Amino acid sequence: MKKLLPKILSGAAALALALTASAQDTVKVGILHSLSGTMAISETSLKDVLLFTFDEINAKGGVLGKKIEPVIVDPASNWPLFAEKAEGLLVKDKVAVVFGCWTSVSRKSVLPVFEKYNGLLFYPVQYEGEELSKNIFYTAEAVNQQAVPAVDYMLADGKKKFYLVGSDYVYPRTTNKILKKYLKSKGIADADIIEIYTPFGHTDYQTIVAEIKKFSAGGKACVISTLNGDTNVPFFKEFANAGLTSENCPVVSFSLSEDEFRSLPTKDLVGHLGCWTYFMSLTTPENKKFVADFKKWLKTAPAGVDRNNRVTCSPMNLSRTGVYLWKQAVEKAGSFDVDKVREALPGQTFKAPEGKVTMQENHHLINPVFIGETMANGQFKIIKSLGPVAGEPFSDKFLK
Amino acid sequence: MILRRLNNLRPPTRSTTVAALVWLLCYIFAIPLSAANHRAVLVQAITTNDVAVQADLINSLANVPDPIIEQALTAWRQGSVYLYEPEDQPKVPFLLEAGTDATGKSRGIDLGTGEFIKDAAGQPLLFTAADLTAADTSSKLRRVIKTTLDLLALSNLNPNVRRDAASKLGQEQNADYLPHFRERLANEKFPEVRKALTEAIAITELLDEKADVRLGAVRALDQQRSIPGLDFLARLETEAKTKPQAFSLDLLNAIHQARIHIERHVSTSNFIETAFHGFSLSAVLLIAALGLAITFGLMGIINMAHGEMIMIGAYSAYLTQNLFIKMFGQGTRGFDFYFLAALPFSFLTAGLVGILLERGIIRHLYKRPLESLLATWGVSLVLQQTMRTIFGAANVQVYSPSWLTGNINAQDVVFAYNRLFVIAFAIAIVVFTWLLLTKTSLGLQVRALMQNRQMAACMGVRTDRVNMATFAFGSGLAGMAGACLSQIGNIGPSLGQSHIVDCFMVVVLGGVGNLQGTVSAALGIGVTDQVLQPHLGAVLGKITVLAAIILFLQWRPAGLFATRGRGLEG
Amino acid sequence: MMKKTLSKAELIGLAVAGVLVFLVLPLLNALPESHPLHLTTFTLSLLGKYLCYAVLALSVDLLWGYTGLLSLGQCLFFSLGGYALGMYLMLKIGTRGQYHTNLPDFMVFLEFPKRFPTTGGLPPHWIPFQHFWFAAAAIIWVPAVVAAIFGFLAFRSRIKGVYFSILTQALTYAACLMFFRNDFTFGGNNGLTDFKEILGFDLNAASTRRGLFMATAALLIITYLVCRWLTSSRFGKIQRAIRDSENRVLFSGYATANFKLFVFVVAAIIASIGGALFVPQVGIINPSEMATDKSLEAVVWVAVGGRGTLIGPILGAIGVNWLKSYATHTVPEYWLFILGALFIVMTLFFPKGIVGIPSQVRALKARWNRQSVSVAAPAALSPEEKP
Repeated sequence: MKKLLPKILSGAAALALALTASAQDTVKVGILHSLSGTMAISETSLKDVLLFTFDEINAKGGVLGKKIEPVIVDPASNWPLFAEKAEGLLVKDKVAVVFGCWTSVSRKSVLPVFEKYNGLLFYPVQYEGEELSKNIFYTAEAVNQQAVPAVDYMLADGKKKFYLVGSDYVYPRTTNKILKKYLKSKGIADADIIEIYTPFGHTDYQTIVAEIKKFSAGGKACVISTLNGDTNVPFFKEFANAGLTSENCPVVSFSLSEDEFRSLPTKDLVGHLGCWTYFMSLTTPENKKFVADFKKWLKTAPAGVDRNNRVTCSPMNLSRTGVYLWKQAVEKAGSFDVDKVREALPGQTFKAPEGKVTMQENHHLINPVFIGETMANGQFKIIKSLGPVAGEPFSDKFLK
Repeated sequence: MILRRLNNLRPPTRSTTVAALVWLLCYIFAIPLSAANHRAVLVQAITTNDVAVQADLINSLANVPDPIIEQALTAWRQGSVYLYEPEDQPKVPFLLEAGTDATGKSRGIDLGTGEFIKDAAGQPLLFTAADLTAADTSSKLRRVIKTTLDLLALSNLNPNVRRDAASKLGQEQNADYLPHFRERLANEKFPEVRKALTEAIAITELLDEKADVRLGAVRALDQQRSIPGLDFLARLETEAKTKPQAFSLDLLNAIHQARIHIERHVSTSNFIETAFHGFSLSAVLLIAALGLAITFGLMGIINMAHGEMIMIGAYSAYLTQNLFIKMFGQGTRGFDFYFLAALPFSFLTAGLVGILLERGIIRHLYKRPLESLLATWGVSLVLQQTMRTIFGAANVQVYSPSWLTGNINAQDVVFAYNRLFVIAFAIAIVVFTWLLLTKTSLGLQVRALMQNRQMAACMGVRTDRVNMATFAFGSGLAGMAGACLSQIGNIGPSLGQSHIVDCFMVVVLGGVGNLQGTVSAALGIGVTDQVLQPHLGAVLGKITVLAAIILFLQWRPAGLFATRGRGLEG
Repeated sequence: MMKKTLSKAELIGLAVAGVLVFLVLPLLNALPESHPLHLTTFTLSLLGKYLCYAVLALSVDLLWGYTGLLSLGQCLFFSLGGYALGMYLMLKIGTRGQYHTNLPDFMVFLEFPKRFPTTGGLPPHWIPFQHFWFAAAAIIWVPAVVAAIFGFLAFRSRIKGVYFSILTQALTYAACLMFFRNDFTFGGNNGLTDFKEILGFDLNAASTRRGLFMATAALLIITYLVCRWLTSSRFGKIQRAIRDSENRVLFSGYATANFKLFVFVVAAIIASIGGALFVPQVGIINPSEMATDKSLEAVVWVAVGGRGTLIGPILGAIGVNWLKSYATHTVPEYWLFILGALFIVMTLFFPKGIVGIPSQVRALKARWNRQSVSVAAPAALSPEEKP
């Protein structure tokens, strides 16, 4: 009881302070990530890193002297609800900017809302491109920053046969369509490219793995996987049990990052490849600081934030980069006005953990690209750095 | 070997580390002198700056049976050989031990001596991987290292590694490797490795200049029905079109024959494989649906939370695994037995939850089956969210015991151990359930209840108790299914959701209230699905199966094996 | 039990609801933003969405509450209507898409011009959807045909009860998988989105939103009246008789299968129209709307509101969805607990839903009174045992 009273008093004082503060020197910023439903697995981490970044910025005085006040909503992995929540953020909460979305369909769902109310959205997860909205900034990897470099690496490694396997939705379809064109332009025969899709939540990969086994028997074969998070477990378990390894048939996965490895039996994935613009194992001083600060922040993080075995990954890093780019643009524009900020954003550069990144006129980043090999501890060993690549959403621009 | 064992060291506890150190020192003194020489070569190869010299040095290591060479080369290629540069002394290449201490640091193992690097006071130095400079490699060096490693692997102790190395080197079609292959073949005892080696020789000889050698190689591949050879033969055939003068008619014929034979072999093995996949998928469906067949088929309860019982079983397996890791450590023999403990544990946990569910909710709904569907769906939502709250939204990792990983490869048909286990397990639980239902008094009472609830009650069957026991048994079976599924798929809060529709399909198709119906339905669905998949793709295959079930029920609305009764309302 | 003509209370209720949705709410929305009573377009759209759900709930109730057919696939028809209108809306985007061509975006980047070279990329079955009248007709006939085929097969072979529920679930699951496929020409997982205009009106304009809201409200009232008429007619009696004992109806000489088929088709059409109005208001339709849990959720609304009544489903749909909007904003982690518990509590303790609570209370009271008057008096039937 003795301890409780001061706590209540100080809490009330803090609350009062917060209330007065919120009235004057804070700026509201929306977080639009699913915290329940099927996508919660991935998106919760992005919410956490955003909160971390806001605290990081607030500790240094905020943006234009105003503290960032996050408004968190839960669209519950439900696409119409994404649109509803986005509208709520823009209309009711009147946020200056929104960071959010993971799946393409959620972005497609909120896009008209942002265009209608002239809002600003930062989108941090690798995607298929073929979209450019004036109200969205894509810090995400475009296809030419992930899929194409990965395939280039495989070609340079002497691979001649490509097995493209993906979940049946738009991102894998589009990516594979682009890759097929690209591979053909590099002289790979039609018969040496196989394209297979599995339904959402598929659990039985026996047939596909048996096919891969025969496909790769003659050597020089690899698998390009755009399977989404969940289905990777049965796939890789089957893959390993069929006696396939990264030695005789490596798999490059585009949807698996360090954060996903937390829930995968990484033992079965050792040696398989990933291609991202960021890996947690990067050794730049900026990254070391980012990782250390994030881990430190987790210890004091608000309730509801998972504190165990946390890692950083590319979508998390790109979420954070988006916040900093927005902050810089706001400071350059001297205002939170969406139109002014939008004009100030292209050309902004930021010394991100992975190196220097630049926002381009096409709302995508110039970003260094890395290829990494999965290790048993759920980290990537970086085996190749490809230097900066300019993101390009439209495939006809980079496919000649 | 030293390093491999070092890798297995559990890092933190002091006593084990000391013991290991003592053991290590004993081991090092036992190493023959020649090994030390090779290490000197290795150290030189790493510390020299001239790539050509380095390549030669690495090549010279190809025949050395010292496991540390392999370990070090692998690490070097991956960039985890680091350089320690003491003042005024040559650089010391070293590896980090596998574990780290509480501060994230670990000791370095000198590649030259195999000992920990120590400071002047004789204390082992501690390093953090992120602060170290790795020994340089270029892509050319990495390739040289890779080849050396593959050649080393030809004499690895593990026959699987030897086999893989042979097929890999064969695919390079490099005539320089032929002596290595032949030398190995002379001593090789394992038929699988022998096969891979002869295959590798034949594939390499396909490019030989002498026509008769090539013909022999083609015939050898033909005889072996070599699937890897197929690509090379096809390549040879296309080549024949561009320069026909290099190919005799005999050779062309032989190639053609070989391709036909091998392709025929592939389709046979595909056929057997499809059948096996069909059975294994059927087994999965059967295991998952059997519990539902009991609760739904025998009791008439539509338990939408059945999927969540599977999920609870899977999480129980996960908990058992964690307990065994704590007790024995991962990858140990003790750990391997966790799965045997997980099965009964999952059965008990899910059965217990089943009892709670039956007592708390379902008991009140026996007369309202449609509403039991709604209430149990509510239960399923609550259970999912509960698991999410306890274990987090992410899936959890379950490692398979070593006896469930790997496969038997017979005539190019792969039989994975976990799949074989699932099939055996399915048979076992069906037999067990059948015995329980037909040979025990509980089974008799259950069947009586199923046929006529009121009459059974009048005859003195304690319906309340039988209901509870049946429901608990059905739930327990679902729990075991979860433990079993953990070996082939995900464990997450929505695990149940991905199986529930399939389970209902099996039960409805099989007809309510009999085991043979459920078994035949699972077989029918599983095999059809796998037969369709190669032709239609996974998505359309699944849709076709669903449509087929719906249509089939038009023909036999009560399922495959309907229990015929005289009652009007069924 | 149910009269053919509307009772006084019903008339008053309808009048109040009519004034509210056609006059008060739109007027409040039309007020300038600074006005304290101003109702944002956001809130109005949200209400519009709830009303669409209420229409869906009515269709579920018509099947479940009145005929005893628990369909777990009603969202399939809801989505079919949505897709039909969505196709029309998609084609009206015109050159305002990412590629500035007349073809919808996803058709451009999935290379439809190569697949359908004769039509310039537009799949043949999309072509008539350029006309609103065709889309409007499709909203009616597409679900009607699907429901008729499925219903004919199912009812002919006397699939009923739980089997019917499970099969409808399988149907919507199969359709969901089908629509997920990109090859199926309906935009795959991303669905149809980024609509710009409907019948020449800008979809982003507040006035269009008001119009859509009023249209939805009108649809709900009409649906209510149609269901009211249907259930109070002789047809409705047979409906309820089928629910209570199908065999007796059968033996009395009625072809129950035809009756059930008719109700199933009508319910499908109602759900479909609701879905069609839902899409322009939320701006997206994708296959996850057909997922099995969506249909189950619709069943909860009815269960919560009170099945076998017409006002119940409407209250349930609006209430539960309002709760969902609120809970996912304030206590996101607990939403599933709340929904699950709602399900359990409702089926266990309030089988008649919110609407049935007063009568349950009355029954309890009556029992209490009787027991206190005379212990020997026979116990009243508990609500669920009442005929």
